[in-house]
Amino acid sequence: MPAIIRMENLTKKFGNFVAVDHLNLEVEEGEILGLLGPNGAGKTTTILMLATVIRPTEGTAYVRDYDVRKNPDKVRELLGIAFQEPKMLWVSTPWDIVNWHAKVCGLSTSERKQRVKEVLEALDMWDYRRRNVHALSGGMRKRVELAKVLIQRPKIAIVDEPTAQIDIVGKHKIWRMLKELCEQGTTMILATNELYEADVLSDRVAIMHKGKLLVCDTPKKLKDSIVGGDVVEIQFEADPSPKIVEKLKQFKEVVKVVKSKSSMLRLYLNKVEEVVPKIMGVLMKDGASVSSIRMSEPSLDDVFAHYTGLTLEEAQKEGG
Amino acid sequence: MRKPKKRGVSLTRKLLFVVERDVRLFFQYKAMVIMRAIWFVSQIAFFGLIASRMVAIEDYFRYYVGGLSTMTLYSAAIFIGFDIYEEAEHGVFEYLLSLPVSRRELVLGRSIGGGLRAFIYVGALICIALYVTGVANPLNLLLALFSLFLFAFGVSGMSITLAVAIKSSDRFDILMGVLDALVVRLSTAMYPLSVVKEANVFYGWIANFNPLTYASDLFRWGAGIESMLTFENPLLPLLGIIVFFAFFTFVGIVLYDKNIEGGGWQ
Repeated sequence: MPAIIRMENLTKKFGNFVAVDHLNLEVEEGEILGLLGPNGAGKTTTILMLATVIRPTEGTAYVRDYDVRKNPDKVRELLGIAFQEPKMLWVSTPWDIVNWHAKVCGLSTSERKQRVKEVLEALDMWDYRRRNVHALSGGMRKRVELAKVLIQRPKIAIVDEPTAQIDIVGKHKIWRMLKELCEQGTTMILATNELYEADVLSDRVAIMHKGKLLVCDTPKKLKDSIVGGDVVEIQFEADPSPKIVEKLKQFKEVVKVVKSKSSMLRLYLNKVEEVVPKIMGVLMKDGASVSSIRMSEPSLDDVFAHYTGLTLEEAQKEGG
Repeated sequence: MRKPKKRGVSLTRKLLFVVERDVRLFFQYKAMVIMRAIWFVSQIAFFGLIASRMVAIEDYFRYYVGGLSTMTLYSAAIFIGFDIYEEAEHGVFEYLLSLPVSRRELVLGRSIGGGLRAFIYVGALICIALYVTGVANPLNLLLALFSLFLFAFGVSGMSITLAVAIKSSDRFDILMGVLDALVVRLSTAMYPLSVVKEANVFYGWIANFNPLTYASDLFRWGAGIESMLTFENPLLPLLGIIVFFAFFTFVGIVLYDKNIEGGGWQ
């Protein structure tokens, strides 16, 4: 797929503070690119530069070949953005907000009415559409913010922490709606500090820390990039024979085998899904009595820790 | 699900949507709208009536009511600058900057919206003023209303220009207070130019070039309160208002276009 967004040395400084530092990143048409990082990583600043809300200090970005510096009006025609903090005045109502947004974004009257109703109903906001924003909870305001993009159905949707403050049922509903939006042909940038959200939604994940891009790839490749990141725990009924341990060590994917006290072997390896059948074969052939096998893959948090030496939580605290 | 049909939104339509938003928003501040109306009526019914008895200027009551109308228009049109700070506080300013609307459409739409809503609001109050002052020549009044319309656009353009240039609500608040003191006090809204000049020639010189003087004069001319007009030829204040409107509308556009970006609001 060709790149629909190209960031070339995109940089933003606020005084001496470098919020985004020479970011080079491409977003392919039709994909969901997760921008993952702790607060203060530079995700929102990157998004605001793409949306032409703030100007880059250095470098630039191209959205469908339109330079954000030179053709901001053309760029904004292609974008729809749901901000991290809901952007609305407290005297407004959800209906006023989304209806006006749909008008400005060029939806026809009939389509606007239909879409506004459809999306507000789907987000469980229809009954609250005439209430003032100040009477809504944080989660409800977040839904209204998201409704703008879902109604607009832009060519490129940017959603910044779309499910923050939303309950788990709501999260799943919103994830489904975002996926549907992409199935309709929208390319999406999803900025989040929720690992699971990035993992389940993103085709590729770009990890940012302190304004810099650390790595960008599919979640699977990122996890596989951690040598010995997968873990298989085999609980034997009795201590495993040294012969079995030796055989398991022979697999090239196995990085380390640790034998614990209670007849358990812990294997640190790569590509767990490919190795486990081979391990099973060895165990069956040698007639080993196994009571249980547990597998775990590294999470994106492990990936983040691998590249930064910090967990996401630690980095969050460090970033204030 | 079907993809929604999107039609190209023309410049005029986008402009209208921006105008519509600002007009609607103003009337959502119901308490403020009601309080200002009460203030306006009180000024006529109490201050105007009482003060006119101690001022030895002929027909001062009608003179004051005419000036009060343009002062109220000025303060209602200024309100858009405070809206911008309210929007910056809630992040709405950044939202507006992210919309498929050019900066020019946005600032022009907001100037018009700010002026129009002030005019609609004060229009009702002007009816009260005209009931008090009477109308001598409807054609003159129409021209006067048109010029007040431009005046309101100019004031709201000025308010937007200052708000986005200053980016600090505290400083904007102070500046607006100072401006209000200078623009209103050094104009002919409350007293005739001859009295201002008598007090201080320099004050008189400022009042001569004050857009509020132009607006007050034209309104009085339109309402037929011609006893103490600053300018004999109504075209002069009209020209002054057109220059004021054009300057702040275009300065606003240039400032928005070149400098404005989200963030950095205090």
